[in-house]
Amino acid sequence: MSFVKKLFSICKTKHSCCGQIQEAAQGVRKIAIVGSPNVGKSVMFNRLTGSYVTVSNYPGTTVEVSRGKTKIGEEEFEVIDTPGMYSLLPITEEEKVARRLLIKEKPNLVIHVIDAKNLERMLPLTLQLIEARLPVVLVLNIIDEAEKIGMKVNIENLEKDLKIPVVATVSTTGRGIDILKGRLEEYVRNM
Amino acid sequence: MSEICKYAGDILENSLEKIENLLKADYGISKRSIGLLVLQEDEEIISLVKSGDLESFGQIMEIVNHAKTHFHEPLSYIISQARQEEANSIVSRAIEHSPKRGLPLKEKLSRVMINPITGIPIMLLILYYGIYKFVGKFGAGILVDFIEKDIFEKSINPWVTGIFNSLIHWQALRELFVGEYGVITLGVRYAVALILPIVTTFFIAFAIIEDTGYLPRLALLIDRVFKKIGLSGRAVIPMVLGLGCDTMATMVTRTLPTIRERIIATILLALVVPCSAQLGVILSLLEGNPPGLWVWFGVISLVFLLVGFLSSKILPGDAPSFYMEIPPLRLPKLSNVFVKTYTRVKWYFTEIFPMFIFASMMIWLGQLTGLFTFLTHLLEYPIRWIGLPDKAAVAFLFGFFRRDYGAAGLYDIKKAGLFSGNQLVVACVTLTLFLPCIAQFLMNVKERGWKTGAGISVFILLFSFAVGFILNFIFSAFGVNL
Repeated sequence: MSFVKKLFSICKTKHSCCGQIQEAAQGVRKIAIVGSPNVGKSVMFNRLTGSYVTVSNYPGTTVEVSRGKTKIGEEEFEVIDTPGMYSLLPITEEEKVARRLLIKEKPNLVIHVIDAKNLERMLPLTLQLIEARLPVVLVLNIIDEAEKIGMKVNIENLEKDLKIPVVATVSTTGRGIDILKGRLEEYVRNM
Repeated sequence: MSEICKYAGDILENSLEKIENLLKADYGISKRSIGLLVLQEDEEIISLVKSGDLESFGQIMEIVNHAKTHFHEPLSYIISQARQEEANSIVSRAIEHSPKRGLPLKEKLSRVMINPITGIPIMLLILYYGIYKFVGKFGAGILVDFIEKDIFEKSINPWVTGIFNSLIHWQALRELFVGEYGVITLGVRYAVALILPIVTTFFIAFAIIEDTGYLPRLALLIDRVFKKIGLSGRAVIPMVLGLGCDTMATMVTRTLPTIRERIIATILLALVVPCSAQLGVILSLLEGNPPGLWVWFGVISLVFLLVGFLSSKILPGDAPSFYMEIPPLRLPKLSNVFVKTYTRVKWYFTEIFPMFIFASMMIWLGQLTGLFTFLTHLLEYPIRWIGLPDKAAVAFLFGFFRRDYGAAGLYDIKKAGLFSGNQLVVACVTLTLFLPCIAQFLMNVKERGWKTGAGISVFILLFSFAVGFILNFIFSAFGVNL
């Protein structure tokens, strides 16, 4: 009996898989999460997507890319967790893949996650993403650690200078995630 | 829309504008970005532009070459410099409260470790106590002596030999288990009595060093030396891991950014860097002969630098750049050290144990068919050239299976008192450089491809004996007696 059930469930998943492809053809809008390694990109990705995640190698490479889905307002988006990158000028294979994803998949939203403590070092990539005319939202992650060492960021000034939305979060505890979602929704509505 | 970031000098902005005007195709990102990447000579983007805007491609590259002549530094450097300045000024407006940068003790200690003047003595201290004293003296000396002499020679060997003598009457079959090269008397003994204590003590020392966060600091310390030989400080990690197990370390060379660095690191790992078992046995061989140990260390370091330097000259490619995140220093956690040691020892031991048994069986088969004697006789020629007694050929034949197996073979020969001081040093140097084990060879082939993998092996075979020959020649020419 259980075997039959298994067969059934396989059929079902196949169906839903076809559904995905169809949706993609109709143009599910995409969100790409970018940033250097160890800033909490993947935790952020999991926070946004929940459990429906597929992991696959990027064609022709050994680099893994995770994809999932999230809802912003009423609309469903595909979320892509890109490999770590420091700059748009790539050195490693991971960085090449991340850039290719940005160029080829034309995401409708790019979330640049950075470690708030190292704002100075990570901001150049934000500048490059803005320069590339990608729709960027800047996320100052791990803001709690920055606060712990006595750092205080004026987010309004940052938004004024960069002319993009900036949100402070702690992806591991979930702090600021709701605000981020709100800002994303606002951003999508005005697009 | 005004640009957020302007680039130093009119030349750069002008060239950028000209390129932007020439770009007609849609590249998915802004023309300004594409223009900047072309100016920085990004290969992938250049080929995109070549297929997207073929008719103006020549003109674009002319602009790039023209812009380059105006600067001493590479354009990528100029551009990222300008961008960083812009970022800094934005940050200065955004940060209201800069963290107090009083240096805590940890930070001070960290700087002391990276500064060459204080860092090198610290590194030597760690090597002396962590590797030489703990692994060499305690692991390879005291522990091996105890397990080998008190447990194996006194109890297990006679007992097992007794059992097999009464069970099996066919001499040849008995030899398979308890003969000179028997599965139990040689294979199991090497694995359990020699390699296991050495590897375990090494992995304990390594796990402690790793868990404190010292390795990235070591990488920064050695970065300058490594750059000279065409590697970035990032390559320190696979090199240090190589002292644990070269096979594992070869896999880790994947973390190096350029193919050129990967090849250089693979050569160095296969040729020069001894794995923990080998290192332990060699330390215990040369223990009681400090000048010999220094000569061994000196020759190996020299070869490391020389081969690294030469291969960086021969292999084409860019010099490496290095950028690394440094985790904080901390006291090692006992549970971490335990788990790391346990998993590594388990992994290592389950890999070598069957190999050692298999090697013993191969040798037994070889002896039955006469192939073993033939090969040892064949090896005796190069062995004589480097001034070693014929008996050492057996150890080198073992070395074909695994370097650590070969080193263990030397250990037996030394115990029998067949080596002079000079010969011991020559043998240690040659065997350190000698072919890596089969597992590492397969890993080389897997990671670098057949041609490079096989090429490295042939080079190593010739090179190791050449160094042994030269060393022996120098010893006798200058009348050195170690």
